[in-house]
Amino acid sequence: MNIRSKRKNMFTFSKRNFKEKSIKTIFFIAAIFGVIIIFSILFFLLREAYPLPTDVWSFLSGTKWSPTESLKFGTYPLIVGTLLVTFGAMAIAIPLSIGGALFISEIASSRVRSIIKPAIELLAGIPSVVYGFFGLIILTTMIKDFFGVPTGETWLAGSIILGVMAIPTITTVAEDALKAVPREYKEGSLAMGATKWQTISKVVVPSALSGITAAIILGIGRAVGETMAILMVCGNAAIVPNPLWNTFSPIRTLTSTLGIETAEVPVGGPHYHALFGVAVLLLMITLIINLSAVYLLGLLKTKHSASGKKKKPLISANLTAKIKKIFTSISLLFVLFLLYLITGIIVTGILVIIGIIFWFFIKKLSEKNIQRIAFSAIGASVIIIIILLGIILTYIIVNGAGALSWEFLTEAPRNLGRAGGISTALIGTLYLVAGAIAIALPIGVGASIYLTEYTKENLATKIIRTAADLLNGTPSIVFGLFGFAFFVLYLKFGFSLLAGQITLAFMIVPTILRTTEEALRSVPQSIREGSYAVGATRWQTIRRVVLPPAAPGIITGAILGIGRAAGETAPIMFTAVAFSSFFPSSLFEPVNALPYHLFIVATNVPGSAARAAAGGTALVLLLVVVGFYSIAIIIRNHYQKTMKW
Amino acid sequence: MLVIGILVAIMLIAIFFSGCTQQTDTSQGLTIVVVGRDSASGTREFFWEHVMGKTNFTQNMLEKNSNGGVYQTVSSTEGAIGYIGLGYLDENVKAIKINGIEATVANVIAGTYPISRALNMFTNGNATGIAEEFLKYIDSDEGQAIVDEEGFVPKTATGPYVKVDGLTGSITIVGSTTVLPIAQLAAEAFNELYGSDLVAVSGGGSSVGVQSVGEGSAAIGMASRELKSSEITSYPNLVKRIVCNDGIAVVVHPDNTYVEDLTLQQVKAIYNATYTNWDQI
Repeated sequence: MNIRSKRKNMFTFSKRNFKEKSIKTIFFIAAIFGVIIIFSILFFLLREAYPLPTDVWSFLSGTKWSPTESLKFGTYPLIVGTLLVTFGAMAIAIPLSIGGALFISEIASSRVRSIIKPAIELLAGIPSVVYGFFGLIILTTMIKDFFGVPTGETWLAGSIILGVMAIPTITTVAEDALKAVPREYKEGSLAMGATKWQTISKVVVPSALSGITAAIILGIGRAVGETMAILMVCGNAAIVPNPLWNTFSPIRTLTSTLGIETAEVPVGGPHYHALFGVAVLLLMITLIINLSAVYLLGLLKTKHSASGKKKKPLISANLTAKIKKIFTSISLLFVLFLLYLITGIIVTGILVIIGIIFWFFIKKLSEKNIQRIAFSAIGASVIIIIILLGIILTYIIVNGAGALSWEFLTEAPRNLGRAGGISTALIGTLYLVAGAIAIALPIGVGASIYLTEYTKENLATKIIRTAADLLNGTPSIVFGLFGFAFFVLYLKFGFSLLAGQITLAFMIVPTILRTTEEALRSVPQSIREGSYAVGATRWQTIRRVVLPPAAPGIITGAILGIGRAAGETAPIMFTAVAFSSFFPSSLFEPVNALPYHLFIVATNVPGSAARAAAGGTALVLLLVVVGFYSIAIIIRNHYQKTMKW
Repeated sequence: MLVIGILVAIMLIAIFFSGCTQQTDTSQGLTIVVVGRDSASGTREFFWEHVMGKTNFTQNMLEKNSNGGVYQTVSSTEGAIGYIGLGYLDENVKAIKINGIEATVANVIAGTYPISRALNMFTNGNATGIAEEFLKYIDSDEGQAIVDEEGFVPKTATGPYVKVDGLTGSITIVGSTTVLPIAQLAAEAFNELYGSDLVAVSGGGSSVGVQSVGEGSAAIGMASRELKSSEITSYPNLVKRIVCNDGIAVVVHPDNTYVEDLTLQQVKAIYNATYTNWDQI
């Protein structure tokens, strides 16, 4: 080989190298984008919250929220309201969702599973403003009439709605955790002669416990951050219930305060700064919740990975058992005490006696009967979930079907939505979603390619991934306030299509990142190695070998992102939307959008014609979002069936 | 272990639902459910100044972010009382006489109904071009007819609107959802008159309206309240035009047989929770 050709070779090699390097850099930039977004959200919220109209301590502990009349900015009732509503929601959601997850992963036949699982996932696709619409009109009236209380807009109503909304989140994550338990564990247990229920309760659940806990924490995060539904059903009186366990008291959360007050508040005044203070507080609470979920899920990963090292426990097994026993008895006593405080001595006594009888009854039962009882409880929880889904869907379809027509879809709204159709809202939603996906898809896919293809697990990837998880758990209204502070005010975009698109894009980046990463990871390593072995560069391997089989997974992620963006109200409420009957002619004009149209027509326009139009809009919105979700689910199922390595 | 965990969980759930057994005493009378607007609302501010005499509302007041929200709750809650614009009245809520005066447009014009306020539009400097013509249109017979039709209180009209030549381009009007119906319907008629889309209207809220017109992203801003001092400092050139007046009706559930007529003092006493039961009135 002469020198010349060797030099040429070297030249092309370094050119190739340069290309590879720059591609890597591009992906890296996409990957750190999530970190940048999280920090800029925090920065801009803090910037707008400063100066708080009161000192931080009285902001947190003040018992009165009266920002315009007596200029009191105490968020204590709002924090208590948020916690109580979330607590109630979890009391409803946790038993149902754990039951659902156990049913799907352990009991159901594969045919039943293929129906139930998508059904529960569809529950996640129902937009929150649709839940709110349902809650406002049906649930609050039912509570008022059933319990004979003065008003149904209560803590209880909020908890029920939030509980139903948290079910799909908890169920899917818990089911993933249960599925991750190695088969051998179960087989070992069954081989020892344990019943199915013994295996589930003593082997499967304990080893998936941290994953289930993480699922619950994510559900809590979802409930804490929910805005539109809670705003419509829980009355919004900024009071601490009296007594504290009075579930029929109206209540106000941090999110609903932001939802109802931000649009009308004069920019720059004390009330404005206080609202951004509330947003910072909300962000902090969800950050803590999500970080603990990330930590617990991390535990789960290390638990099942076969690392040779076996850590010596700090304290002996005997002692831990003792500590656990003491801990449970203390918590049991505490709960009993609470019960005594609330219901008095008689009810507590009866409950304790029933509990003891129940305890002995269970001890006496044969394993087979215990299994029967447990399985029927699980079955009941699944049935309840399905019934809830059925009620909500039926209500919305029955109420909306009458208004639906071709004209309704193609005509612009007239007379404030009472006449005409919803074409501007439909087109506006399409514009918003198309822009959001055009921005989010490259970032999300680029970041996940960087995470899976270019790096090994290290501190940087850990930070990037944590940022994505945090972004995923950030309440949508926080995105809305950030968009308002940054795009609308700071960059002077005004209420515009562009501001809405970017805000929505930021919100769906983590969804796309996660699903794409999963898709890329499911491509076997051996295929990549084969490609390298024939001399392909890393980029060539990614483009020609890894991406094509992962494409369905990526498309699924994109569609899930589209569904989420189409159904969200809170992020666009302060950045992009206006109740208009015009199509925007540039990126800097406001647009109408389906969820906002529904919100305004349902709560702002009088008359029965408006109610019919709201029903129709709710149905169209539901169909649009659920349609996107169904396509995603179908692609995923098809992909799972056909892709075998 | 697991069983104990489940027991604890069940008891926590029992605690939550035991709250549901806390029945309020319904044996005597009907509890008043006070419904009002959110703290950022112009309507609430007006009500606070003119009915409450700048004293505090009860903390138990349910807060809604729109007239429609108040209407919805009052029309479905037997014990509720709320306040909404006259345009929102229909058979699903019952308007109460204030000091013996019925809440009607005629009584507001006559000056006898005590709770009414002006609805405003703002321009940055004196209005020119399309904005000026549109504001003239609203002041005209045609514009005030729309005001009347939507249930707001018209002011004295300036006579029939005279079409001018040479209007081109387009403007946007942004702001208060209370003023929105008038602007929207006037814009539909105005555009039809000129045969081109000269005026586009969007909601957003009073503050958004003031801010948009101040920053120049809209030609006209709508507000259901007066300018705040902070807004006057930021945008000193804003010029106010009164669109019309809006009477605020105090409403209760149609099945409420306890009251037909309240004095302003009684309304105030309800809103600061001096009265908590309809029997007390």
